[in-house]
Amino acid sequence: MLNLCSVTRKTVVDVLCGVVFQFPEYDNLYCKYCFVYGHDWAPTSGLEEGITQITCKGSQSSHKLIWNFPLETTFKSTNPSGWPQLVVSVYGPDVFGNDIVRGYGATHIPFTPGQHTRTIPMFVPEPTWRLQKFTSWLLGRRPEYTDPKVVAQGEGREVTRVRSQGFVTVSFHIMTKDMKKLGYDTGPSSPRNTQSATSGWSTEEQP
Amino acid sequence: MAELHIIGQIIGASGFPENSLFCKWGVHTGGAWRLLSGLKEGQTQVDLPQIGDMAYWSHPIDLHYATKGLQGWPKLHLQVWHQDSFGRCQLYGYGYCHVPSSPGHHRISCVTWRPLGSWQEQLAQIFVGGGPQLRSPDLIYSGADRYRLHTEAMGTVELELGIIMRHFDKYGVDS
Repeated sequence: MLNLCSVTRKTVVDVLCGVVFQFPEYDNLYCKYCFVYGHDWAPTSGLEEGITQITCKGSQSSHKLIWNFPLETTFKSTNPSGWPQLVVSVYGPDVFGNDIVRGYGATHIPFTPGQHTRTIPMFVPEPTWRLQKFTSWLLGRRPEYTDPKVVAQGEGREVTRVRSQGFVTVSFHIMTKDMKKLGYDTGPSSPRNTQSATSGWSTEEQP
Repeated sequence: MAELHIIGQIIGASGFPENSLFCKWGVHTGGAWRLLSGLKEGQTQVDLPQIGDMAYWSHPIDLHYATKGLQGWPKLHLQVWHQDSFGRCQLYGYGYCHVPSSPGHHRISCVTWRPLGSWQEQLAQIFVGGGPQLRSPDLIYSGADRYRLHTEAMGTVELELGIIMRHFDKYGVDS
């Protein structure tokens, strides 16, 4: 019987992304992203976190805000548990010009090779009291998570109240290495001719 | 031993009478299954959607099981609850779905149901809320004694589950 502890296991996941988003009520937004992964994972190349440009709605397509932000990252691991997640936080100005959070969201990076599109719903923490809602609107201090990586975890969520208010669309191109060699079956690769991706962000898909 | 990874999220729910919803979820397996890592139960946040009808939770699930047999394949059971502005919680539905048995990405719509009481209880439910609940959540995913229940249909929970299987082919399992 094969002793797996003595074999170096390596699963490499390459992630190439571009980002588009839809926030019907807000404009002039920018996004911070980071990757959250388990103990068995480690990034081998690429940036683990970053910030996009500030974008606003175009005159032609009034409902879309486009970043077209590139992401290129490689991970390695000995175990699929703790599969990396992409955590996205969107920020923008409020009526008084303060920089406040407009949404948090997270999604698992797909594990089948090929092209995938994911639409991530974004939510903000809600103040508990109506008075707190009014004072936070007036002073520009909305509830925020101290560490956005909390969004990628399941524990401790039962005490939070949130409001979902927008979507971020991410396009992934995934490549894996040595998964089959180590006995992992991840199912069929995604079909080649899915819409969008290579040129322009004409995805009119409504979530 | 064969291994199974369940990596995905509980996306959200729609089709319920009110929108401020949260979900209690759990995974039930047979005796031959052992959980190696991950949490097999939890509760999502309460979401009040600003646009549209669907409440979004994006609750991550990352489970790693080892098993000696196919019996007792994991089942994901859900309870959808509504929290109103006063903080009171009311049951909106029970549902369950089997974890997919083939590797790859799967999008699952899990339908839910709620126990229906007598006409007096239904009338009271319209005015003050509440309603009958199951004493033991086992009935959500088991068929025994279901014939005693009278239920009504409620909304749908959307899930996205990714399945990675390992060494199942060595035991002769086709997938």
